[in-house]
Amino acid sequence: MSTSPTAPVSRVGTHRTHPLLRGGGFVALACLLACVAVAGLAIGARDIDPITVTHALLGKLPADDYNGLVVLTERLPRVALGLLVGACLGAAGTVMQAVTRNPLADPGILGVEAGAAAAVVIGIVIVGVHEPRGYFWFALAGAAVAATSVALISRATTTASREISLVIAGAAVAALLMSLVTLLTVRDEAVYSSLRSWSVGSLVGRGLVLGELLPFALVALGLAVTLGRSLDALALGDEVAAGLGVRVGPTRLWAAGVGVLLAATATAAVGPVAFVGLVGAHLARMLVGTEHRWVLPYSMLTGALLLCAADVAARLVPGHGELEVGIMTAVVGTPFFVALARRRGRGTA
Amino acid sequence: MSPTTMRPRSNAARDTAVTMRANARAARLWRGLVLAVCLIVAVGLVAVQLFLTGDAEIEPDRVIPAAFGAGDGLADYVVRRTNLPRGLVALLGGALFGISGALAQRLFGNPLATPDVIGISSGAGAGAMLVIAGFGATGLGVQGGAMLGALVVSLIVYGLSWRGGVQSYRLILIGIGVGACASAIITFVVTRLDDASTQRAMRWLIGSLNGTNERDVALLTCTLCVGVALVLWIRRGLGDLALGDELAAGLGVRVPVVRFAALLLATMLAAVVTSVTGPIAFVALVAGPIATRLLRVPDAPLAAGLVGAVLLCATDIAAQTMPLISPVPTGAITALFGAPVLIALLVRRKATV
Repeated sequence: MSTSPTAPVSRVGTHRTHPLLRGGGFVALACLLACVAVAGLAIGARDIDPITVTHALLGKLPADDYNGLVVLTERLPRVALGLLVGACLGAAGTVMQAVTRNPLADPGILGVEAGAAAAVVIGIVIVGVHEPRGYFWFALAGAAVAATSVALISRATTTASREISLVIAGAAVAALLMSLVTLLTVRDEAVYSSLRSWSVGSLVGRGLVLGELLPFALVALGLAVTLGRSLDALALGDEVAAGLGVRVGPTRLWAAGVGVLLAATATAAVGPVAFVGLVGAHLARMLVGTEHRWVLPYSMLTGALLLCAADVAARLVPGHGELEVGIMTAVVGTPFFVALARRRGRGTA
Repeated sequence: MSPTTMRPRSNAARDTAVTMRANARAARLWRGLVLAVCLIVAVGLVAVQLFLTGDAEIEPDRVIPAAFGAGDGLADYVVRRTNLPRGLVALLGGALFGISGALAQRLFGNPLATPDVIGISSGAGAGAMLVIAGFGATGLGVQGGAMLGALVVSLIVYGLSWRGGVQSYRLILIGIGVGACASAIITFVVTRLDDASTQRAMRWLIGSLNGTNERDVALLTCTLCVGVALVLWIRRGLGDLALGDELAAGLGVRVPVVRFAALLLATMLAAVVTSVTGPIAFVALVAGPIATRLLRVPDAPLAAGLVGAVLLCATDIAAQTMPLISPVPTGAITALFGAPVLIALLVRRKATV
C-alpha cells in the first residue's frame, strides 16, 4: 500500500476528455466564475442589484453615487483578491498533490499555511513589520520551513502509508505553529483581536493588500502554468520519468518550491484558508482528466470559484456580521476530505 | 553421585523461579515507587499553584492558612477561591484526559488515536459552544452540550471509518478532518458571541484554566470517581482484547460490549473535562506513552491518569510563570510541547510497524 501511487494522480494518460469539451469547459467555468464574481459584488450587508453593479463597473454611474462607491472601493478589491487567492490556492493544491503523489495534500492540511501565518505574526509582533510586502517575505520563509519539516517528518516514518503520515505530520506541525501564534498574540488584546480573524483566513478589509501582492501572485501563477510537463513526467513514477530524461530530484524540488510560493502568497494576503487547494485540484481533475498541462489552469479557475463562492455564501449566513471565509471552506471542505480519506486503504481494513 | 550432584536441574529451575519472583517483586516495587513519586509530584504542584498569587502579593506564610479557610478577604479570595480550584481542576482534568487517552489508545491499538487527535475534544468544545450561544446554557447544560458534541463526533468518525472493521489509521485521518470542521464551528461561535472576551474565547479555542471554580472541581471529582470505577470494571475485558477479538471472545469477553463501553467511556471523560477547560491538546496523547515508559508495562489507564495529572499541573504552572510569554492559555503550552511528542510517536512507529 505504501508503494502504490495514489489512484487519481497515477492514472496519467488513461483519463482524458475531448479537446473541444476541455476548451468548452474552460469557457463555461470562466462564465460561472464571472457570475459568482458579480454576485460577490452585489450581495452583502447592502444588496445592490446586478444592473447597478454593471453600470458602476462600466463607469456609467455618477462619481458620488453611494452604491457605485461601495462596489468600486469595497467589493471590487475584495472580489479580485478572492479570485487571485483562490487561483493561487487551487494551483498550490494541484502542485502539492502531484509532488507528494498524495490526493489528500493541501497547503492548509500540510501545515504550509500555518507556517506562513506563524512567520507573519512573528514579523508583526517581534520584528515590527507593517506593510503587506514585508508580510510576504516572512510568509514565504515560514511556508518553506513548514513544508520542509513536514516532508522530512513524513519521510522519517513508514506509518501505514505515506499519505497518512503526511497528514498527521501536517496536523502536528500546524498545531505547533498555531500555538506559537497564540503565545505571541494572546497578551496584547488589541493585537489579538486584529489577528484573530486573520488567523482564521478572511477576505474582510483586505482589498488594500491587492496591489502589494499582485506581482508575487502573478509570478507564482505564471511559474505554475509552466510546470505542466514536468508534473506529468513525475506522475509516471520516478524511474519512468528518469528514463524520459527528466532530472527527477531538481524537478520535484522546483515544483515544490513553486507550490510553497503559491501557498505563501495566498496566506500573506488573507491568512490560512484550508481545503480550497484540495477541493479545487480534485474538481479540476474531475473536469479535465489528469494531464497537468490542463489541470493546472483549470485548478486555478476552480480554486477561484470555490473561494469566491464560499465568500458570497459566508455573507449570507444569518446572524450579525459575516463569516470568515476560512470557516466556510473548512465546513464545506471537510466532507470532501473525509470522502477521500475513506477511499484510502480500501480493502485493507 | 552425591545427592547434591543428582539434582542440578531442579536447582536451576528453583533458581529461575526465585529470580523470576525477585524480578516480579522488583518490578512491582518499581511501579509502586513511580506511582508514589507521581502522586507526590502532583500534590506538590497543586501546592505550588497556591503560591502563585501574582499581583496580589500575599506573603507565603499566609498562603497555607488561607488554603484551609483561615485567610482574610483577599487571601481567601486569591488562594482558596481562585488558585486552589485551578490547581485541583488541573489535577483532576489531567487525570481524566490521561485515562481517556490511554483507553482510546488501547482500544484502537494505536498511540495516535486519542480523543484530542481524532477530533472528539474539539467536538465536545463545539457542542458546549453551541448550547452556550444557542440556548444561553450554563452549568450542567454546558456539560450536556459537550457530551452530545463529543458523542456525535465520535459516532461520525467511528462510523465513517467503518469498512468491515475500523482500521486505526483511517480513523485518525478522518478524525483529523472532522476535528478541523469542529474547530471551525468553535471559531464561528466564538467570533459571534457578543461578549467574546479574549479570556473566554481562549478557553474554547485552545483550552485554558482561567476562571475555574469550586463547582468545576466538584464536577470533575464525581466524573473521576465514576470513571475510575468503570475503568476497573472493564479493565480485564479490555486487557483480553489485546489478544485479538477471537481469542478474547473465546475467553468469555463480550467483545462488542467491551469495545463500545471503552469508546463511550473515553469519549465521555474527555467531554466532561473539555466542557470545563476547553479542548486542551495533547495531554491525552502523551500521558499514555509516558506512563508506559515509566512503568515498563504495556498499558495502564490509571497510571496514565496520574501522569496526565502531573503534566497538566506542570504546564498550567508554566503557562502562568514562564518568563517573557506568561500568562498564556494552558492549551497553547500543551500544544507547543505535545506536538513534538506526536511527531516523535509518528516517527518511532517505523521501528514497530
